Amino acid sequence: MHAFVVDLVSTLSTAGYLFIVSAGLTLVFGAMRVINLAHGSFYMYGAFLVSTIVGASSGARFWLAIPAAAVAVGALGALVEVTVMRRLYRSEHLTQLLATFALLLIFADVGLRIWGTRARTVGNPTPFGGRITLAGATFPSYDIAIIAVAAVVGLALWVMLTRTVFGWKVRAVVSDPEALATTGTNTNLLLTSVFVLGAALAAVAGGVIAPQTSVAPGIDQAIIVTAFIVAVIGGLGSVAGAVLGSVLIAAAETLGARYAPNWASTLIYAVLIVVLAVRPWGLLGAAER
Amino acid sequence: MTMTRRNRPNKLMIGVTAAVCLTAAACGSSGAKASSSGGSSSGSSGGSTPSGGTVTIGDSTSLSGAIAQLGQTGLQGVELAVDDLNSKGGVLGKTVKVVSADDNATPATGASQVRNMITSNHVSALFGPVSSAVAAAQEQVSNQFSVPMFFYTSNDISLMRGGDNKYAFQFVPNTLMEPNAVADYFAKQATGPIKIATFAPDYSFGHDTVNGFIAALKRLHVNYQLVAQEFPPLGATNINTYLSTIVDAHPDYVFNAQFGNDLVSFTKQASSFGMFQKTKVIAMYDYDALAALGSAVPAGSIGFDRAPFWAMPEVSSFVQEYKAKYNAYPSEWAIMGYTAVQGWAWAAEKAKSFDASKISATLAGATVPTIRGNITIQACDHQAEIPEYVGTISATPDSQYNMRLYNSPVFTAPFSDINPACGASS
Repeated sequence: MHAFVVDLVSTLSTAGYLFIVSAGLTLVFGAMRVINLAHGSFYMYGAFLVSTIVGASSGARFWLAIPAAAVAVGALGALVEVTVMRRLYRSEHLTQLLATFALLLIFADVGLRIWGTRARTVGNPTPFGGRITLAGATFPSYDIAIIAVAAVVGLALWVMLTRTVFGWKVRAVVSDPEALATTGTNTNLLLTSVFVLGAALAAVAGGVIAPQTSVAPGIDQAIIVTAFIVAVIGGLGSVAGAVLGSVLIAAAETLGARYAPNWASTLIYAVLIVVLAVRPWGLLGAAER
Repeated sequence: MTMTRRNRPNKLMIGVTAAVCLTAAACGSSGAKASSSGGSSSGSSGGSTPSGGTVTIGDSTSLSGAIAQLGQTGLQGVELAVDDLNSKGGVLGKTVKVVSADDNATPATGASQVRNMITSNHVSALFGPVSSAVAAAQEQVSNQFSVPMFFYTSNDISLMRGGDNKYAFQFVPNTLMEPNAVADYFAKQATGPIKIATFAPDYSFGHDTVNGFIAALKRLHVNYQLVAQEFPPLGATNINTYLSTIVDAHPDYVFNAQFGNDLVSFTKQASSFGMFQKTKVIAMYDYDALAALGSAVPAGSIGFDRAPFWAMPEVSSFVQEYKAKYNAYPSEWAIMGYTAVQGWAWAAEKAKSFDASKISATLAGATVPTIRGNITIQACDHQAEIPEYVGTISATPDSQYNMRLYNSPVFTAPFSDINPACGASS
């Protein structure tokens, strides 16, 4: 029972931040058919910005630092979309990959110049500094905060995509951008907005995970691989798929650690291969037209 | 199934696979940015030593990614040593230049970089890298081309006792000296039966360090009981399950073989789990880790450091100089990098040659003056006879550095006590 509770909370909190970061990735792919490797950079910049704003002692300011980092990284996303991404929409996937890979490396070097190589830490924000004991199991209360933030982000995305004109247009731009343009929609502005939203989500994920880990160079590349696996398993372009993918990967990691520690890192790739073999377009994705 | 339906997902899959491959290979894949703090080189790796001109040394190490802090600060130590040599007339009358490159922590990359440094830059000596796997690959190249190689961060004992060590020198405590030193210190603190857990990344360094520590405890007849052993995959982000297993085993101490950012992450998460209410950690809490953790560092835990500047009064003027140039305190990697360059320069002057065989013959068994004082190079395996530093983390911040360091006096484990004798199995 007690191991079950720990594993459940661990799975959900890991799934929480994986969902936030891969939702941004999948959203951008859904609207633009572009695989953005620089998403990892946005995540790292979010974490670094939050650590810069709040320092090692976090307190309640943390909850202001997250949106501040999201806005700043969103602005950077707008710049990247207008100057680079816009030129890539009609290119091959491989060209897009190479271009965004270049961005990832450039941003990594710029990050080294700005924040240096030394690791930083962010304290647990109030009121999540302590621990919770439930059914004999003790776990950090901040895990609950991560799960809550992910739930809020997921709900907001769902409402936005299904209940607003913006969401309708985002879905329309995928299937028929020309038709959407004839309705008077500025598709350029729409795509920029989606990219900004994706970048901001990456920053939120980076900020949210910061109190649990060390913020240091290299986290950009570490996260992008996992985020990709999550997005591909769920189905690139599907936000609901990102939920499913992140829970699957988090469960594989957690249960792997518990029952087959020597295989834990292999397990997520095994899940990826099985899903790709059975449904190449991901669990909830649609086969590309 | 139509052609289009079959084609498109495959195309996407290729893209995704390429994406994952690219990023996995990345780990700081700014490989080609070999920076040079000097221009062209007229030095040769041969034995001729006319006065004037330049001599080039190479440092291929990890300058980006998760271990960039180790590589970057180590390179800074090397560059500062070269600056100091040049301000005193260089080595054998030649101005020393440094070429550096980012090895991406990848053995193949590191090996091809040093090969390139030897053939294109005509380097007379090699320094670096961070990873022992890269070091092993570079050592082979240095051996092939007869260029002396100085390790100051990577410390696997097999580098010096595995065979290809003719031109290689180790200016960092090796993988057995470190756990021996920690066990020596721990044996003095430990009373009664002690419950110990271990936590280490699942690769050779992690296993070797843990095994070395356990073997040393046995040798010292410490009354211990091993209650949990966890080996998470290298780079695992989700370590909650491992932490909860350790907490449930109620150990008195957790011996952790992680370092750098991973150790910082572990400490943060362990603290969130409440591990430090009853358990202390034994780990490489060096200056950088202590600085990153601040008040989150667990008091009473045991830290070790390969060269803590703040506990080494002999390096105080070097610390001033380093701080003036880089606006930061020197890491142990910077101190050991600086010392390694001093070792090479001393040997070249003494041998009156940059020739690898002459440098090797001169250094083996010699005593070299360095910023750390006189250091003897053990003849049998070219290991610098330097100590390891161990201490208990203080509960209050140090007044000078305004952060928590070790209680004084810091235990300086003498080389003669922790060095596994040459010829003993490694």
